[in-house]
Amino acid sequence: MAEKKRIYLQPKPVRIWHWLNALGIVTLIVSGAQIRFPEHVSVLGSDYKSVILLHNTAGFVVAISFSIWFFYYTFVARNMHKIYLPSRDDLQSGLLRQAKFYFLTYFLGWQNPHHPTPENKFNPMQKSAYLAIMFVLVPLVSLTGILLTNIEPLRNLILMIGGMKILVGMHFLLACSLCAFLFTHVYLATLGHTPLAYFKPMFNGWEEIEEHEDAVTSH
Amino acid sequence: MIRELTKTSLWLVLLLALLLPVSALAMENEDCLGCHNDSDMVGEELFINAQVFDHTVHAEMGCASCHDNVTEEHPDDGLTPAKAGCLDCHENINEDYAGSVHANNASCGDCHNPHQVRGLTEVSGHDLNQQCAVCHESADMVQQHDEWLPQANLHIAKLPCISCHTESDDYEIVLYIIQKESDKVLGDFELSALDDLQKLGGEKGAQGVIDLNGDDFISLTELRTFHRNPANEDLRLQATLMPSDVSHKIEILEDRYDCSYCHAAGPEAVQTSYVALPTAGGGYQRIDVEKGAVLDALYGTPDFYMMGATRNASMNIIGLLIILGGLVMPIGHGTLRFFTRKNRKH
Repeated sequence: MAEKKRIYLQPKPVRIWHWLNALGIVTLIVSGAQIRFPEHVSVLGSDYKSVILLHNTAGFVVAISFSIWFFYYTFVARNMHKIYLPSRDDLQSGLLRQAKFYFLTYFLGWQNPHHPTPENKFNPMQKSAYLAIMFVLVPLVSLTGILLTNIEPLRNLILMIGGMKILVGMHFLLACSLCAFLFTHVYLATLGHTPLAYFKPMFNGWEEIEEHEDAVTSH
Repeated sequence: MIRELTKTSLWLVLLLALLLPVSALAMENEDCLGCHNDSDMVGEELFINAQVFDHTVHAEMGCASCHDNVTEEHPDDGLTPAKAGCLDCHENINEDYAGSVHANNASCGDCHNPHQVRGLTEVSGHDLNQQCAVCHESADMVQQHDEWLPQANLHIAKLPCISCHTESDDYEIVLYIIQKESDKVLGDFELSALDDLQKLGGEKGAQGVIDLNGDDFISLTELRTFHRNPANEDLRLQATLMPSDVSHKIEILEDRYDCSYCHAAGPEAVQTSYVALPTAGGGYQRIDVEKGAVLDALYGTPDFYMMGATRNASMNIIGLLIILGGLVMPIGHGTLRFFTRKNRKH
């Protein structure tokens, strides 16, 4: 027997932040591809200068939005560690449990072992993934981007980290990683009890949770 | 006896005839520079830096080629030596120059010092821009270009003005060795002087710093070795994009407002590069570099990257693999999900 429960999972600031990021990152990927491969990619028109301007603007929007996110969760909400840091339990058994669900029991029709609450909205695998993305990928791609937009004033700093090629290489590979994350992220978001179940809360804030009493107790 | 004497004098005359023009020419430059290389003697205005002048093509022609009425009594004869006009020899340049905006504002001498002239391949990009900077101050130029040019400061600092402001069929990458000015971690860099490179190169001289086997060709391996050698810790290669042909028609070219003129050229356009090493007298000498060196992933030219043109192919492949990794879930998991969809119908 199934009963539906609604929880307010994504408050409005988080939703705005998420979609701003989404728009920013997609713009960055498309414009970045055109900047690197101008003779092959011309999705955004043939004006290279405008594409660079768009890329730089989107980059700054994402970098600022990242900073707001960081300060909000660290200093205002003060629950960064609860939401993004995997607990000891998550590392010892949670990760394995969640991986087992995604790669095995999901196909057998079992329920997701993680039940999101506003205080614990990510499963152990999500926590680890977001930790890597928000604390490594996004800061590094932003920092390398900031250096690349200020080569002349920050040249000595660039030389100190090994030069332009290392910087450009890092920026490119980190961006590819974010692009890879994007595909995985969108796909995993379709794994709710209906394909759109996880998308809804990112629009209206509310997640409908379908709980099968028997499923929860038996697995 | 008389016959013998005639024979001897004939030999003497012949010997003199052979030696005289050479010694007269060599003597004459030396004679002039004997005084003109000393600013205390002739004053700043008439001073000629012999070290620089000696390496110019004008020196090979001799002072008298341009100053043809100088007598042996100079300067006591009170005559002002004549000066040849530049166009007497360089008439072809005038056709280009007369059509440019500069023609009404600057004469040859405003930009070129005839006693310091060098060909395009013998000067650094920095030196080239020094001539422009006499009237077009660098800070003003950054400000003006900043109105439309992304990273204007970078373009102005690293490119010779003529790379954009003259027509050329082709362009090439020229690499200069620069070195840290001080021991500071974030110290500034300056173009390496000949002396410094000679010290580092040891027996092989300045060229030995980068052309390790001395074959007048710098391979990618030599470039990598140069960058990885701990002894070269404070040395870097700074690159610039130079036109292959030089023109005196300096103008504002509409096509240069389009970044893709240089940046969307693709890797094919940046295959030719040189390392320019300082020579005695303040000039530069170019050495060929292996084709495609600037496209190397990390160690070929670690500080030179031109967006849209010098991307590295292996880096692209690694990037593609990472992106494909992101498709493992949607494709792999998605397929299994499709085939097991019945299990999830409750």
